[in-house]
This record gives sequence, structure tokens and C-alpha cells, in this order.
Amino acid sequence: MNEQQDILRNPACRENPFQTPEGYFDSLEARLMGRIAEESAAEAQTRTTRPVWRIVKPALTLAAMFALVFGMGYGVLSLTHTLNRGAAVEASGYATAEEELIRPASLINYYQASLTEETELDEETIVNYLASELSFSDLAEIYAQSY
Amino acid sequence: MTDQEILQLYRSGEREKAFHGLVSNYKERLYWHIRRMVLDHDDTDDCLQNTFVKAWQSMDRFRGDAQLYTWLYRIATNESLTFLTKQQSRGGHLDLEAANRLTTDPWFDGDKLQLSLHKAIAQLPPKQKAVFNLRYFEEMPYEKISQVLETSEGALKASYHHAYEKVKAALKAEMDEKY
Repeated sequence: MNEQQDILRNPACRENPFQTPEGYFDSLEARLMGRIAEESAAEAQTRTTRPVWRIVKPALTLAAMFALVFGMGYGVLSLTHTLNRGAAVEASGYATAEEELIRPASLINYYQASLTEETELDEETIVNYLASELSFSDLAEIYAQSY
Repeated sequence: MTDQEILQLYRSGEREKAFHGLVSNYKERLYWHIRRMVLDHDDTDDCLQNTFVKAWQSMDRFRGDAQLYTWLYRIATNESLTFLTKQQSRGGHLDLEAANRLTTDPWFDGDKLQLSLHKAIAQLPPKQKAVFNLRYFEEMPYEKISQVLETSEGALKASYHHAYEKVKAALKAEMDEKY
């Protein structure tokens, strides 16, 4: 270390160049006591309001948790009931008027869909269909027209 | 009043006397330590008050395995470091701005050399600044600084050496520029 260039070795550097306002240190203790008293009063105020909250908080937490569990349970049960209802209707053979309207439509859709596929109708099916849907006179008329 | 007497007064319930002893013994030493860190008088006053309030509120928890002296210095240093960190996080090198304001500060009575020195110190990282100030101005032994900053003596010696070289270089550069 080059001592000639080491300005920090100059004793003037270690001197204190700072000052304080007059009487600062004399009044410090009183100001500190005032601040500590204020903070203690604020702390005491917080302590007096805290017990009410301390009693209410667990009860509110419990109520909120109960409401949450009840809500979740209700939701699950409602969903399960809706899903099971269709199966129950099928099993009991009971259906509402609305469901009666929906079912033929679904059946028609099914048949239309199946007709798009290549299906072979055997002779027996055709005979049975004609026998059930047409009267004897209708069948005779069709026969006469064919020949 | 010794540290032991202050603690005995506190434990025997003579709180007012204990508080008086604590403040009387340490107000000036801690003030100058904080002042060299934060530079401005009002900021120093805030940090010093926080130091005493925190120390007083946690006197119950003071175990006595450290000296009251190192414990108070630790609180004061932490207060100063927290203040400087907050200042820096609010935007830029406000500690350097504070150093520049020293020229118009009515509570700064230093000459040009001292002004340049404190501007150079202001450019150090906060913890390095604490190490430099405690060692250079207060001539605190490394063992004590180690207790205050909770850092190993080896690390402190290295930190002080780096800080010393930086300040010296900054001062030399400024002197060369001026003269």
C-alpha cells in the first residue's frame, strides 16, 4: 500500500463532520418515552378489541365450513339424482309427456340413421310388415295392380 | 451505568430507571453509527427511535448471551440497512443523492476532504458500508463486528479490505481530478 497516496491515513478523515440540532440528545429520551407510551396504548386498544374477534372467528370459520360442505353435498346429490332419474324412469316404465315426445323422435332418428347404411330386408320381414300394416282388401288390390 | 446494572434494574421492575440507563449509555454512540450510514439527520432520528423502541419492546426476550452493546448495535445496523435497502428499492442510488445533499446540509460541517470521503463511502453496498464504518471510524474489533453483523471474521476482513480499497481509489480519483 502506497502510504503517500493513502488519503484514508489522514487523521482528518476520521473526524466527525456531522452535527445535530441543539438539544437533540437532551430531548431524545422524553420523545422516546412518549412514542413508547403511544405504541403501548395502541397495543392495549388492539388487545381490547381482539377478544370479540377471537370468539367470533372460530364460530364464523365453522359456519363457513359447514355451509361449504352442505353446498358441496347438495350439489353432488342433485347431480346424482338427475343422472339416476332417467334409469329409474326406464325401470318403472313411467315417463312424462315430454319424455314421450322425445322418445319417438329418437327412434325415428335411429331408423333414419340405420337406413343410410346398406341393409338387406329379407322376404319374411316384408311379409310380416305388410300383414300387420295393411288389410286383406288392400293386399288384394296391390296384387291385382301388379298383374 | 453498566449493561449488567441496566438489566438488573429492568428485571427488578425498575423500568423507568433501566430505560434511562439504556438511552443515556447508547444514544450518542448509536446515533453516530446510524448517521454515518444514512447521512441525513431526520432519517437518523427515525432509525434511532426505531432502534430504541424495538430494543425496549423485546427486552423480555434478551437472553443475555450477547452483550447489550452488540445487541443494540445489531438492531441499529439492521434498521440502517433496512432504511438504505428501502431507499434503493424506491429508485436508484438515493444514498448517493443524500451524500450530494451534504454540501447544503446545515448539520454537516466537514471540509472538502470529509465531503469527498462520505460521498465515496455512500457508493459502497450497504453491508460493506456498515463494515467499513464500524472498523474505520469506531475502530471496533473484528470479533465485535462479527457479533453485530453475524458474519465470520474472515469474511469481514475481506469485506473491509475491498471497501477500504474502493474508498481510497474513489478519493484519489477525485483529488486527481480537482488538483
